[in-house]
Amino acid sequence: MSDRLRDFFPGLRTTFFWTTSPADPDYNCIAWAANDTSNYWWPVGRAPRIYWPAGAPGEVTLAAFVAVFQMLGYVTSADETLEAGVEKVALFVDAEGVPTHAARQLPSGCWASKLGNLEDIEHDLRAMEGDPYGIVALVLKRPTPTA
Amino acid sequence: MSTTHTKPAAEPIETLEQKFHRLEAEWDADTAVLSNPNKNMEHPAMQAITALGEPVVPLILRELQAGPSLLVWALPEIVGAHPEFEGNVSTMTNAWLQWGREKGLA
Repeated sequence: MSDRLRDFFPGLRTTFFWTTSPADPDYNCIAWAANDTSNYWWPVGRAPRIYWPAGAPGEVTLAAFVAVFQMLGYVTSADETLEAGVEKVALFVDAEGVPTHAARQLPSGCWASKLGNLEDIEHDLRAMEGDPYGIVALVLKRPTPTA
Repeated sequence: MSTTHTKPAAEPIETLEQKFHRLEAEWDADTAVLSNPNKNMEHPAMQAITALGEPVVPLILRELQAGPSLLVWALPEIVGAHPEFEGNVSTMTNAWLQWGREKGLA
């Protein structure tokens, strides 16, 4: 599967990454970034059972995705560097500015992503840039939740 | 001067199963890493799968027997909504497989 992921994401050909879960279609990257592994988070959709938090804008815009993470306690971060006691989420957009992906920073400083309906991986943040996810548009942060 | 007309080779006939697997492979190759479910469902290969109609349902159910898949989202498009089956992909897969067994399709 690693070779297939390198085919999808050329940035993974030149950086270290590793798979941390089997493929699971129950959740997508937005859900994973929000610590939910049971739902497919998206603002609108034909497919049944798309989850989107009540009160969040039902539109596929960066502002709507930011609003969702603000509801989870995140605020805009100046950068993606690791900060003690802080959890960060990066939002990706395509060339039209439409959200495509989200990744979450781990305490190690690595970033973690759920790739569509495939696996979770840990990776360099910028390795995911390019087609099909586009670029990191915004990084958000919040205090690391206590267990 | 005489010319010889050769009959063009007949196009190989693609069975329903072959067509389904070809379309599924195209769909998977193009959408597996996408987070946007609309792009999964609106992909031309997925649209072609749903357009195959009820004859393709047993083939989808066979794929689902191997494990949950976003393919399950095609079933309501083909046979109609079953709100009682709603849930995440695993829940829907189990519900549709049970439906398929009761219908003798899985």
